[in-house]
Amino acid sequence: MRLRSTKSKLSTAWATGGKAESPALPGGAPARAGLKFFRFFSLGLRGKLAFAALVLLALPWVGWRYVQEMEGFLLDAQEQTLLGTARAVSTALHERPSLLQLRPVPPRTPETPPQENLPPDRVTVGSASGNGPLANESAGIDHEGEVAAILKGIERSTSRIWVVNREFRVIALAGSLKRSSVAPNDAGWMEHLMQVLVAAIIQRPSEDFDEATPEDVLSSGREVIAALQGAPRTRIRQTADGKAAIVSAAHPIWSGDDVVGAVVAEESTNSILSVRNRALERLLFATLVAFVLAGAVLLALATRISWRIRRLRDEAEGAIDAQGRITRVFSGSNAGDEIGDLSRSFSSVLERLAEHHSYLETMASRLSHELRTPVAVVRSSLENLKLEPSPGEARVYLQRAEQGLARLSTILTRMSEATRLEQGLQATERERFDLVHVTAGCVEGYRSAFQDREFELSIPDEPVFVQGSPELIAQMMDKLVDNANDFGEPGTPISVRLERVGAAPDLGDPGSVVLSVGNRGKPLPEGTRERLFASMVSMRRDAGGEKPHLGLGLYVARLIAEFHRGTILAENLSDGQGVAVRVTFKALG
Amino acid sequence: MVAAAGHLRVYSCKLFFDAAMPRRIALVEDDPAIRANYADALRKHGHDVQAYGSRGEAMAAFRGRLPDLAILDIGLGEDHDGGFALCRDLRALSAGLPIIFLTARDSDFDVVSGLRMGADDYLTKDVSLPHLLARVAALFRRIDVQREPKAAEDLLERGPLALDMKRFTAAWAGARVELTLTEFWMVHALARFPGHVKNREQLMREANLVVDDDTVTSHMKRIRRKFQAIAPAFDEIETVYGMGYRWKG
Repeated sequence: MRLRSTKSKLSTAWATGGKAESPALPGGAPARAGLKFFRFFSLGLRGKLAFAALVLLALPWVGWRYVQEMEGFLLDAQEQTLLGTARAVSTALHERPSLLQLRPVPPRTPETPPQENLPPDRVTVGSASGNGPLANESAGIDHEGEVAAILKGIERSTSRIWVVNREFRVIALAGSLKRSSVAPNDAGWMEHLMQVLVAAIIQRPSEDFDEATPEDVLSSGREVIAALQGAPRTRIRQTADGKAAIVSAAHPIWSGDDVVGAVVAEESTNSILSVRNRALERLLFATLVAFVLAGAVLLALATRISWRIRRLRDEAEGAIDAQGRITRVFSGSNAGDEIGDLSRSFSSVLERLAEHHSYLETMASRLSHELRTPVAVVRSSLENLKLEPSPGEARVYLQRAEQGLARLSTILTRMSEATRLEQGLQATERERFDLVHVTAGCVEGYRSAFQDREFELSIPDEPVFVQGSPELIAQMMDKLVDNANDFGEPGTPISVRLERVGAAPDLGDPGSVVLSVGNRGKPLPEGTRERLFASMVSMRRDAGGEKPHLGLGLYVARLIAEFHRGTILAENLSDGQGVAVRVTFKALG
Repeated sequence: MVAAAGHLRVYSCKLFFDAAMPRRIALVEDDPAIRANYADALRKHGHDVQAYGSRGEAMAAFRGRLPDLAILDIGLGEDHDGGFALCRDLRALSAGLPIIFLTARDSDFDVVSGLRMGADDYLTKDVSLPHLLARVAALFRRIDVQREPKAAEDLLERGPLALDMKRFTAAWAGARVELTLTEFWMVHALARFPGHVKNREQLMREANLVVDDDTVTSHMKRIRRKFQAIAPAFDEIETVYGMGYRWKG
């Protein structure tokens, strides 16, 4: 009795190793649901990096600011240049009041704008082009001609220079605001695309603007007024049609201490604008290229990282099978970064776990090996004692001791059975044999071995060939029937069925063959089905009868099923009145 | 001596023993308690037993004088495979000396290694003393018979199979099949009643052995292989799945 209770304690102690996981399950379920909920809103690594890459959008903005600064600077420079031009012209006209002699104001017809449609590059002098009232003022004409000659000397293609007298009358005018020739558009398709894109954002400078006449400008020309009052001044104004901006600089013409007139130099900002646009085009191009490059690099990086992490996850998941055994320890990655580090630490954790696991699995056999020698001491001592003459009473105790010893020996043998089988499997040759024949033979044997048990046998009519070892199949059958006999209600039959499933002779697919051993009795508790086949796991609640139960029978059955590349699983019968263990093998054609 | 014979299960009742000169048995075992127990039991059966605790000690004694039979443990203290080495050395000194391995190791690998080293039998420490003594007696008898001229033989013949019950030798179609004692007894149990199925338990009893079913299976495999080495078409031992084995005859 003592021996049996020790045994059951041992097996429960070992069984708790597996049981300890189960309380974690109920708590784990909501946590997982929460994770799924979180995952719904979360992005993958690639999405996150793409999100982070939006920071790059600050680059074009900074570029835009820089171009603006540059534009302002250029405008400033242009103003200064124009003022310089105006100063230079006015210098030539200083102290020559005769050139700017007052003339009678001609009666002007408002409907004829005198300076309109001037052909570019043509120097027009005042209203000398033939407007009757002034034509006969020969002196004026001469003076104005002289001014025009001076202006002609400094004429520039993109600027217009005119001279006004104190009466706001234009005395001479030279040049045009419009640029004579715009550089031909010989840009490549890429630059052209950039131009189109930039044009969508900013208007391109157009040469098709309204060149306002100086007379129109005069009325609102603050710079002219300021110049006539003696102060050089610049101004930026829009053309009448708003299509371009004009920079104008006015400089007084001195005669003694009097201001006799002013020189006004004008230029459109188009040249600056086109420089700005080109800068923006290049900026846009560079930004796009940088974006594409950075995006590609980030995407590649993110893809690589997430691929490595996914591979690590798959490896970690694949390392442990459904029964919680470590099937293979993957070698850690050689990468020197954190993921490589993680992989290596995973690998070493698994390795240690595998060591511990194999220690547990071989513990039974090592224990049995270690116990063998002391058992041999006891046995040989008892047998020596038996050879001595002993009083009648002693014989009884000797006999009991031998019985206990025999049971202990059986336990030790069973404990090492699984290990011996595992070692033996490596050397076992696979042969082709008829599973029907083996099953029928085994059941025939069980009918004589288990006299008080009925066996229901259901097998196919024709032979079913499988690859493996018939002896091992018989050994597996022994374990399954033994198990069914222990769990089956007394008097109920044990059913042994062999059936082919999924065979498709037309396609040459022999399908599978399912061997099931069922008994009537209590169904299996939930969540124990996979652990049933683990080493040292027993679902027996009672201490068992004469035979020791170490929870190794179904483990041995599983080893044999796996040797035949089959699967083994236990399930409750559909009516819940019993349990069947089903082993599925691949059939041979 | 006669009382001791009562404990033995042997098939021939003609027990040979030389009363004038007790057999010298060498027992090499590192566990003192087991060593003393086995030595005592063997002495009680009239044998002269020398017990040694280590390989070196035993080898030194063997060089001086060879025993008539050696019982060796494989693991000798720190010397993990000391028994194997000792067996090899002993075989080198004498080709005919009966050697029995008696060990706690029961893996197929160890059994095969032990028998390849030239041991006559391989027993695990599960074996009971009467079984051990039966083997010892049988091995001595084999040597004695071999020394005698070919006299009235106790032969069991089943077709090409011939079992010499005195010498414990087997032959198939005239060619000698090298069987260990255990294997010989198993073949004998099967061949005695051709067609009858012997289950594993019966075979164990016949072979004076207490082992588990797997060991019987691996013994049967080895027996088949030994016969097949001589006659590749050998198929006389049939496995009756779920029951046992049968000699087809």
